Amino acid sequence: MRILPLTCLGIEGTAHSFGAGVVSDQGKVLSNVWDMLSPQEGGIHPREASRHHSDKGPDIIAKALTEAGIGPHDITLIAFSRGPGLGPCLRATATMARSLALKLEVPLVGVNHCVAHIEIGCLESGFKDPVTVYVSGGNTQVIAFAGNRFRTFGETLDIAIGNMLDVFGRTMGMRFPAGPAIEQEAMKGHRYYSLPYSVKGMDVSYSGMLTAARRLQTEHIPLPDLCFSIQETAFGMLAEVAERAIAHTKKGEVLLTGGVARNRRLGEILAGVAARHNARFHTVTPPLAGDQGAMIAWTGILQYTAGDRLSVAESYVLPKWRTDEQDITWRNLS
Amino acid sequence: MEEPVLRLEKWAMGAESTIFKTEQWGYPIVLKWRPQKPYLLKDIDELLKKTRTNRECKMLTHARALGVSTPTVHWTDLENYTIAMDFIEGRQLKQLASTLPESRLREICFEFGQSVARMHRGNVVHGDPTTSNVLIDTRSRLWMVDFGLAEWNATTEMKGVDLHLIRRALETTHWDQQEVMLTATLEGYVNLLGSEAEPALSRMDVIRERGRYH
Repeated sequence: MRILPLTCLGIEGTAHSFGAGVVSDQGKVLSNVWDMLSPQEGGIHPREASRHHSDKGPDIIAKALTEAGIGPHDITLIAFSRGPGLGPCLRATATMARSLALKLEVPLVGVNHCVAHIEIGCLESGFKDPVTVYVSGGNTQVIAFAGNRFRTFGETLDIAIGNMLDVFGRTMGMRFPAGPAIEQEAMKGHRYYSLPYSVKGMDVSYSGMLTAARRLQTEHIPLPDLCFSIQETAFGMLAEVAERAIAHTKKGEVLLTGGVARNRRLGEILAGVAARHNARFHTVTPPLAGDQGAMIAWTGILQYTAGDRLSVAESYVLPKWRTDEQDITWRNLS
Repeated sequence: MEEPVLRLEKWAMGAESTIFKTEQWGYPIVLKWRPQKPYLLKDIDELLKKTRTNRECKMLTHARALGVSTPTVHWTDLENYTIAMDFIEGRQLKQLASTLPESRLREICFEFGQSVARMHRGNVVHGDPTTSNVLIDTRSRLWMVDFGLAEWNATTEMKGVDLHLIRRALETTHWDQQEVMLTATLEGYVNLLGSEAEPALSRMDVIRERGRYH
């Protein structure tokens, strides 16, 4: 039985952000509320993040419903981020999703967090089949659809780009997340200091760069120049692997998404890459770029419409769920 | 005396280069040109173009000395980031794979694995060992191309990354034939290296898990 029209509540909580969004089956985002754990100092501890989700979650969900102008009984579908992510965070989020599905007697769908980033980007841009550059605190992946799966053509061999920026920023006394502060500093920098540029096929590595940047910092190089050098090197590497993926797959659309997609310089570089290959380019807008519930809700609708259901009994979380492990039943491109 | 005119035909566009086909003394050759990328910082762009053109030209010859078939380099122009080399009449393994009978595909992959092993035995890694960079010519001979990311003095880690990239390329591009292709490629690799293959093979599995969100 299919209930139409669908109003889906999507709940996201894979890492430091908790979000709830309401989306209609027409692809209209009715609300999208989130809150991010931002410690006074240091990084993200999984236990603290999961506590943040259980403490703030119910209010965020209530707020999402209010902003969407609906009551709990108007929800016809619950979708939640089933993975990949930090175990404690995923479990706190799944618990809320299960309780709501049981209480409201509506179906439950488990969504892959990375796939959701791509689908919400496609909804916003109207793209059908892009090469997606997904960059955040926990992920650095170049993904494209092939043979019924979203396949990871390239990824980081060690740490994610956002993680590299955060750890460097922490050394400099910046608060988490450090990306925006680094971007501000970089705008004032102009002198380039060479940093290790590490591209292996379509993969990148950022740990060597991080070590070198921290060493340069002890040599009293002006912070703006250092941030400028870090950005140019790190984004240059991404541009190259994205370009390899475009040349290899011959796809005509490039989508930039994830929290680090908010960086303007990165958008500018990838727009240049897309132009060289006559591909269309879109950067997902800030409200939909980071981790939030609307992307989970929208992907939940796509999955549900294609016949996907998840019983509460089988709704265990998948902390190591790979992007390419899920059959994408709702896309029929090849 | 008339200036000789090169008739250039744009042959292919790669991620970092444009390939032109032309003739020299009646023989077909290709020019691999690394153009400027205006969206990159100039310092980075020039450093990459220079080091890669330089490295590719040396590595094509070095890999041949290790027993891997590579196109002969005719000349290089480091100012213009251009390499002139033999034109290989044939097709990429990427395009061929789905058209071949399984037995033939196994043979080619076995040979591909052996070629990679020859480089690794000489402590060289290819750096971008995808099926786009394996050519099969009209006489069924296998060639390796695109050495811009190749490196000398390769450690076990670097060889492990090379194997990881092969596995990745097969998973993403040849998802419906990946098992046959990977098995045959690794068989060829082990066939040539024997027990020396072990460290790089185990490292390949370690590397796969490393960058993942756990």
